Parts: sequence; C-alpha cells; structure tokens
Amino acid sequence: MRAVTWTGVNEVSVETVPDPTILNARDVILRVRRTTTCGSDLHLLGGYIPAMRTGDVLGHEFMGEVVEVGPGVRDRRVGDRVVVNSFIACGACWYCRQELYSLCDNGNPNPGITEGLWGQSPGGCFGYSHAMGGFAGSHAEYVRVPYADVGSFLVPEEVSDDRALFASDAVSTGWMGADLAGTKPGDTVAVWGAGGVGQMAARAAMLLGAEQVYVVDRLPERLEQVRRHVGAEVIDYSTTDVMAELRERTGGRGPDVCIEAVGMEAHSTGVQGVYDQVKQQLRLQTDRPSAVREAIMACRKGGSVFVLGVFAGPVDKFPLGAAMNKGLTLRGAQVHGQRYMPRILEHMARGELTTEHLATHVMPLEDAARGYRMFKDKEDGCVRAVFLPHG
Amino acid sequence: MDLNQLIGRASGLAGGAGAALLKQLQHVRVPGAGQASATDDPEVAARRWRAVTVLREPADVDGAGLPAPLAALGDRIEVRTTPAPGDRGTELAARYRGTPGEDEIGDLRAALREAKALLEVGEVLRVDPQPHGTRAATPHGAALEGAAKAAPREGVL
Repeated sequence: MRAVTWTGVNEVSVETVPDPTILNARDVILRVRRTTTCGSDLHLLGGYIPAMRTGDVLGHEFMGEVVEVGPGVRDRRVGDRVVVNSFIACGACWYCRQELYSLCDNGNPNPGITEGLWGQSPGGCFGYSHAMGGFAGSHAEYVRVPYADVGSFLVPEEVSDDRALFASDAVSTGWMGADLAGTKPGDTVAVWGAGGVGQMAARAAMLLGAEQVYVVDRLPERLEQVRRHVGAEVIDYSTTDVMAELRERTGGRGPDVCIEAVGMEAHSTGVQGVYDQVKQQLRLQTDRPSAVREAIMACRKGGSVFVLGVFAGPVDKFPLGAAMNKGLTLRGAQVHGQRYMPRILEHMARGELTTEHLATHVMPLEDAARGYRMFKDKEDGCVRAVFLPHG
Repeated sequence: MDLNQLIGRASGLAGGAGAALLKQLQHVRVPGAGQASATDDPEVAARRWRAVTVLREPADVDGAGLPAPLAALGDRIEVRTTPAPGDRGTELAARYRGTPGEDEIGDLRAALREAKALLEVGEVLRVDPQPHGTRAATPHGAALEGAAKAAPREGVL
C-alpha cells in the first residue's frame, strides 16, 4: 500500500510499504477514507521528539471503513464506517475504567522510554514515535486499529466523512479540555490557539454553557474562522496586550477557565519569544511554553488552566508562584477521546458541531509532502491538510 | 572493511548503545526534578519489590497459579499479592530471592507487565511487524531501534 513516512527532519515522502495485518485478537484493519495533519505532528516532523525512526508512517487523526476483523472483536463488522480515537486504550485497566483513556496501562508496548522521562508511561498513540508505542500511523491506505471495540465509533448516517474525521482528535481533545477544566454555565473561557483543537475547545465550551468565549491567535484567517464558524470572540495577540484585553473584557476578573491549545513550539512576541527560541534551538529546553505562562497569568483567582498542547520535557520561567498564590487548578492530558466521542457524534448529527471548515486543503495522499509543507508554513491559510488515500 | 560493512557495524554498535542509553536514562534525574531524595544503594535497588496494580480480584490473580510470564521465572522470584486500596484491584509484586543483575531485572519488568496485560485484557499488545518505509542505516535509527527493543524491559518498574 501507499503511506506517508517520516524520512528526516522536516521531510516526508510517500512510499510503498507492506499492508498492515491483524496482530492481536481485538484488532481491526481499516481502509482509511480521511486522515489529517495535526499540529502535534509538527513536533515530530521538526525533530523535537527524537523518537522517530526513518520510514515510520505518520498520522493519528482518521476515519474509514472496517475491512478485516480480529477473532476477539465483539462490536465491529466488516463494512462499518467508523472514526477512531488517536490514543490506543485497552478499556479494561483502572485508568480506562475511570475514562482516562490516554493513560491506559496496556496501550504502549514501549513503556520503558516514557517511564524514564515522566515517572510513569501514558498509553500509546497512532503514528506518534516509538516513545508512544511505535504504532504505524493513519496516513496510509490501510491502518491496523488495536482494541477496536474501545477506540472506534460508528459514524451516524447523517454525519459526513469530512465532519466525522475531526471527532478523532481535534474535537475530542478540545472537548476534553473544556470539560476537565470544569467549564460551567455562565463561565468565561479563554482559549490560546485557533488551530483545529483550539477552535473545537471554544465550541465545546459554548456547548457546555460558557457565556463568553475568547480565542487568542495571530493568524487573520484562523481568527475569521473562529468568528464565522465557532461563534466565539477573538483576540489578536500580535496587535494587542492579551492580559489587558482579557481584564477589560471580564470586568477585571480574568477568565474562569483558560485552555492552552498551542504546545511546545509556541510563537510569542518580544523578548520572551526570542529567549525561548534560542534556548530551544540550543537544546537547553525542549519546549517553548509562552502560551501556558500567559494563561496562568491571565486566569482569574481560583480559576482553572488546562494544557492541551503537547509538551515533552521541563520548562523554565514557569509562573508557579502565580499558580499557587492565585489558587489555580492546573491540569493537562493527552486525549481521553473514547469518553467524549459518542456525545460529539450526536452533536455532529444534530448540526451543532461542524468541522468541515477546518479542512482547508483536501488532497490525494500522494501530495502529502506538499500538504505538510503548507500546514507547517500556514501557507494559503492552511488550517488542516486532509489526505484521501483512495482518491 | 567496505563502507556498507562499516555502516552495518556502526549501526550494530549504535543499537546496543541505544539499549544501554535507555538503561542509563532510567537512573538520570533531570536537574531539579525528582532529585530531592537520597539515591538507593545498588544492592537495595536491585532487591526492591517491583509491583504492578491489576484491576482484578486477588483470587483472579494468583488463585489458579501465577500468570505464565511470572511462572516462567520459577523459584528465582518470590511473589506477593495484596488487595489494592480504593477498589483498584490487586497489587502484584515480585522480587528475586538473590541479588539480580540488570538483565534479570529486565526479565522481571517484562514479566510483570505481560502478566498484568494477560489478566486485564487477555493478551499482550503486539506492535511488530508493522508497515514502514525504507529504513536508512543511520546510527540514530539503530540506536532508537535498540532503545525501542529494550523498552518493554526498561523503565522505573
């Protein structure tokens, strides 16, 4: 089959690779219909997460049709149209039973790598390096889906492939951030980052009853998407002081909930931006945490900060004093998507959650190198490149 | 020795180095993170109980004999099971009767993880063989492959 592989720092190519096979009884093989780039792929592409092997198949946000079923699968049948969560979870361990699926004890066959880094190992993820299990990704004609009864969800008839695709990760990650940050009716929520995840975090906050929702970014086309498709207000950090703006718009309180949807390659203005860039390039720090810092400083006293962006290691200039003295709740997670996808698909079926606008550039799998370049450079207003492995 | 042999040899060395590096990394503490306490004497570290918590009743864990991966280590290990607090299942712990070497500890880590997966899921999740494209023979790639191969036997368990 054809698949998109990582071939070096900021290099991908489309190669012919072996087809996937059923390796465990609870696997299915999926014929991929839609698979999309995610901002977190850029950390892999750029070599910031140095656990990629040349030839690894990329991609973790996808949907498709079941074409083969392992003997231990209960609920999936050949022909099912499903969307699959990006994290691989067994459904049987204590974490899965608490609906903390990305923390699954049995989803990462390479726990030794991340245990050393973080003290414990999270679950595995499709196409996300050998540190996260070494699973082949979804940018391919076919993909193996382990624990398919737990991680795949039937797409309702009224939901198109284009809409369902983003339930896989962008919507479920955004929804999780808004929910686990404790968004309540009447709250004010600020989201840093107007990519797919940030937009969907804002939309989820609105569906959870938030009264005011602000999204912070600098790219005009993304801010326009937020206004038009999400219905939230926007703040352009390249032209205005975000903290002052938020104070002014919230009666001096600051947002009740602050959601960071940017990650380890955050852009920022001024001295802080230069400082973080230089330290990261010199490998003195792995991550550029400017949006997290600002979220903590902007949050109201006793409020909640949720880190959705991907980080890998220690950071500095972390405003711990602000977090402690303001009594903040600080939380983060990879996506516990299995917990939210049924509800998300219902909202999608009712037309309350639309995602088609995120797919600004839809192209054949063969054009993946161009797609990733456009996505990385945000060329031509690219928010997400979506690949069609079967045309 | 031609160039291909040289690269092959470098890759072989790098693969071993990757596994060794991963082993070393388990003992490294990032400055300022997790460095506040004393470091175990190697003898004490080797003799510690290594434990996983399994979401099953104690009778399901050792009622009908130990899971195969632990049973395979025979009399070389002692095993204890304890009900975990807060309905978290059963703590399954094991340690060697003597003082083990690094390889033996690796065997035990892998056996505990596999035992837990067998008890909770009924099978151990596999990842190989997987589709992949051309693997260039680079020292980084070989080191990573060595580290990934060693990963089920490494970690803080």
